Amino acid sequence: MKNKLFLAFAALACLLLAFGTYEALVVAPTEETMGDVQRIFYVHVPAATVGFTMFFVNFIASLLYLWKRSARADALAAASAEVGVVFCSVVLITGPIWARYAWGVWWSAWDMRLNTTLMLWLLYVSYLILRRSSTAGSTSMLASALAVFAFLDVPIVYMANRWFRTHHPAPMIGTPNLDPRMQNILFINMIAFLIFGSLIAWFRYEMERTAQTIDAAHIQRAAGGAVGMMAVPAMFLAAPTHVNPHAYLWGGYLAAWGIYLGYLLFLMAKLGRLKKEAAELGR
Amino acid sequence: MLRGENGAGKSTLLRMIAGLNEPTEGKILIYGTPNTKARHNMGYMAHAPLLYDELSGMENLRFFAQLYSITSDELLARAMERVGLDPKLERRIGQYSQGMRQRLSLARAIFHDPRLLLLDEPFSNVDPDSALQIAQLLADMRSSGTTILLVTHQAGLLAKLADEYVLLSHGQLVSRGPMAEVQQ
Amino acid sequence: MKADAIKAATETPAVNMSFTRLAWINVAKDLRLEWRSRDVFNSMMFFALVVVVVFSFAFERDESKPVMGGLIWVAFLFSTTMALNQSWARELRNGVLDAYRVSPAPAEALFLGKVVGNFILVSLLECLMAPLFVVFYNLTSVGPLWQLILVALLGTWALVVNGTFFAAMSIRTRNRELMLPLLLLPISIPAVLSMVTGTSQVLSGEGSPIVQLKFLAGFCVIFTTACFLLFETVLNAE
Repeated sequence: MKNKLFLAFAALACLLLAFGTYEALVVAPTEETMGDVQRIFYVHVPAATVGFTMFFVNFIASLLYLWKRSARADALAAASAEVGVVFCSVVLITGPIWARYAWGVWWSAWDMRLNTTLMLWLLYVSYLILRRSSTAGSTSMLASALAVFAFLDVPIVYMANRWFRTHHPAPMIGTPNLDPRMQNILFINMIAFLIFGSLIAWFRYEMERTAQTIDAAHIQRAAGGAVGMMAVPAMFLAAPTHVNPHAYLWGGYLAAWGIYLGYLLFLMAKLGRLKKEAAELGR
Repeated sequence: MLRGENGAGKSTLLRMIAGLNEPTEGKILIYGTPNTKARHNMGYMAHAPLLYDELSGMENLRFFAQLYSITSDELLARAMERVGLDPKLERRIGQYSQGMRQRLSLARAIFHDPRLLLLDEPFSNVDPDSALQIAQLLADMRSSGTTILLVTHQAGLLAKLADEYVLLSHGQLVSRGPMAEVQQ
Repeated sequence: MKADAIKAATETPAVNMSFTRLAWINVAKDLRLEWRSRDVFNSMMFFALVVVVVFSFAFERDESKPVMGGLIWVAFLFSTTMALNQSWARELRNGVLDAYRVSPAPAEALFLGKVVGNFILVSLLECLMAPLFVVFYNLTSVGPLWQLILVALLGTWALVVNGTFFAAMSIRTRNRELMLPLLLLPISIPAVLSMVTGTSQVLSGEGSPIVQLKFLAGFCVIFTTACFLLFETVLNAE
């Protein structure tokens, strides 16, 4: 499973991530209005890029499955959806953290992009739940059909958000005029996270293939899974008085990496169970 | 006749031939046509009655007949009589006895005079007299050219009528041959 | 003898039922079954009534004027989900779905029949609930009524077509009743948003719902096509 190519890419990803994060936190110029907290942007936007890419991969893989009934396509669909949801969750967590500092609100109902991401998150979580709840023989077919629907909804959601909310002011977590230095750093981070995300997806794909051969229907899933439960401590509800911008910045980064590492741990645990079960079956 | 212990895969095999389950490998051909294209010539009967409780016998048959492009009431009435039911009975089949429901289910499988009949335990929960009648009906159909694939645990009934047996175990074909061999 | 058997097995019957006629047969059968048992309609009606009453307690009349569009559709959405959950229950009860799948009738005719049947049922419910809403909330419509009706028609179709499709999907899942709303609601959010906005616009007279109508029409076309193309796959996913 872990061959040399994977290790090479993993090394590259680590390097790029380290470099990108250093650039983002230290080298990048401080934004005038929002200060240091704006650096969350270097984690937030790449997460969105990876998330949407994964969902696109899921769409293509599902179409492939519908056409060719290939088990590998189905495994890829499952893996990409899960990884997509993880990265989407990061967007949905880092976004409000940033927004809370910058504009005093956790969520802006009129922010187009955040709304679209939330919709996507809901759609693909429902996809993952369908995969888990469906009876063994029907999972792949049903999931592929749902994936087509979900992806068809993406442009519709985007258009809906654009048409129906534009008459409200939009304090978007966007990228207005970007300093070219910021653009470069953003680009580096995007590449870094894309490689990182693809590696995770690859790993998850291999695991899914293994699970397919062990007849994954009997594997118990860990409760909670990759999607973190967001408990809301009371402190989130109070208005920010003595505001320390760095708390928000570190909060954003920690949340993102916490989710990534948590997901990786979850995958490790799952891999351990798969190996045990394979050993029991004598393969 | 398909035989084998519980879980051997007899029902699954019938369902695959009927087109309800997809085989993991390969295709199913009936006289050279894929089974999904030969549906108008297949009749299927399962454990469950496959009928609507709230409709009467004729109403049920009429509905299913239209799926096969058959609109003649006469044909349906004849099918009901062949299985020993009264076509004029207006009672909802939810109030039928088990034996009557089995018979109607059989009528549903044969009204379009299929060349291939797939029967999964047609004699379960049926009283001995009805069972004999059904067996006789099947024998008649066999004589007029219908191929019948039957799964049953009551081999005694059909010992004289069946031509061939097929033995399944754990999803694999174990043996097949003329019925005479089974008696030994 | 063998040659005869082969010939008989491979020739198709001379008369073939047309697609629409098959669909219509399904609708007629569903309506007749529903008429004989009336269980779905009664529970739907009662549930809708309860929702209207609860909403009327929860939201004061004057302050709820702006959100009226939303409330009506939330109530309808819940009732529709309940109805749709039942839509395939009859087919599953005695395994009738298998009998349909074994027959030469195309799966899409069954789907169309189901969708139309559900549409009729839900539309009936809406016609009965609308007066209740008017009474409880003193509703008056500033905009033209035909726009309201069009929004309702398109919106209902959008919900029902996707709902029937996902209800068919839920058949093969472990917690059937939960899967339907879980799958249906996220996908339908754009349509619901459009319906709510459109209804509010017509009721309050501010803004023209033409954009919403176009959007809903597009939504219906896209998803109806997707449903028809994929229904056979979902039905035979075993």
